[in-house]
Amino acid sequence: MVRLSDLPNYEREHLLSKNLPPLGPAVWTKAKADLSELRIALITTAGLHYRDAQVFAFTDSTFRPIDGEEDPNNLVMSHSSVNFDKTGFSEDVNLVFPLQRFKELAAKGTIGSLASIHYSFMGAGLLPESYEAGAAQVAGLLKQDEVDAVFLTPV
Amino acid sequence: MQPPRALWVPFPLGRPLGKPADPAFQINVILAALALLHRDRGPVLEDFPHDVPTLEATEAAACPVSFAAIPEQENSWQARLSNELTILQPWYELSLRRRNGRTLAGVSKETPQENIQTLATLLDEHKTPGDISWLKPAVEDIKAFYYEALTAQPGEYDSDALQHVFWQESSFGEAILVLHDIFDSAPDVQS
Repeated sequence: MVRLSDLPNYEREHLLSKNLPPLGPAVWTKAKADLSELRIALITTAGLHYRDAQVFAFTDSTFRPIDGEEDPNNLVMSHSSVNFDKTGFSEDVNLVFPLQRFKELAAKGTIGSLASIHYSFMGAGLLPESYEAGAAQVAGLLKQDEVDAVFLTPV
Repeated sequence: MQPPRALWVPFPLGRPLGKPADPAFQINVILAALALLHRDRGPVLEDFPHDVPTLEATEAAACPVSFAAIPEQENSWQARLSNELTILQPWYELSLRRRNGRTLAGVSKETPQENIQTLATLLDEHKTPGDISWLKPAVEDIKAFYYEALTAQPGEYDSDALQHVFWQESSFGEAILVLHDIFDSAPDVQS
């Protein structure tokens, strides 16, 4: 997230207007082991997908699976918002989706392992409740992949 | 969103890991976030203490193209946008070579070059696109084409300076604003 003071007025007011009630009781699960034993998945709301996958619609609560074995340099971004910088992502995919960094951490043993599949949503234009079905489906898929923790990157 | 653990970072929107092509900086952000996993109780919202180092104007790589310096030979959008396309094409090709073929263009079904031609025709005829779903991916692809061409040379670029070149100096930036006005004045288009 950015400092509110670094935003132009219209964007600051836009973000401050998003004052929604809590989604429900806060969730908390303690980490079950040391970091070096945890299996981690990446999830982004940046609207990323591989070039040949279906692009995100203007408002879209679906998600795209991202195979961790594919080259992340083939990821494109069809996020509907124009209110954030894309030049950095154009230079380096890891700025938004740090798959290469996590592979390095797994190779060094800092984390236990990486999930086989990661997930991408497009976070714009809909209220959080719209994502409930997709999020529940992803939660099931993550359990199936024996994932312990998720690293979420919004844009 | 109420995530159980959140690391607040002071980076521009669109740059959650802070700095492109800086693995050490990115790893520091990741490790700071992962350290939150072993807190006793939550929710946790913690500040990441480091800003991205500021890029001095003298250090920032210069854009290879200065649109402000290009004389306008003709006033039609077809001529103006084709002119920019011709100027940027070799830089875009250099970008593809330097980035091992990586490009963000490709969300639209058509190429950026085809989309520029279509957009120019619409502007010259003062029309809105018949298929509105074409517009967003087409514009995003063209923007990717411009930004990748403008940053084709290795080096760090100041994102505010790039935004300025794109919106204040390029004909395409002006074209988007004019298209916005065409939409505003079209009686059959609702916001």
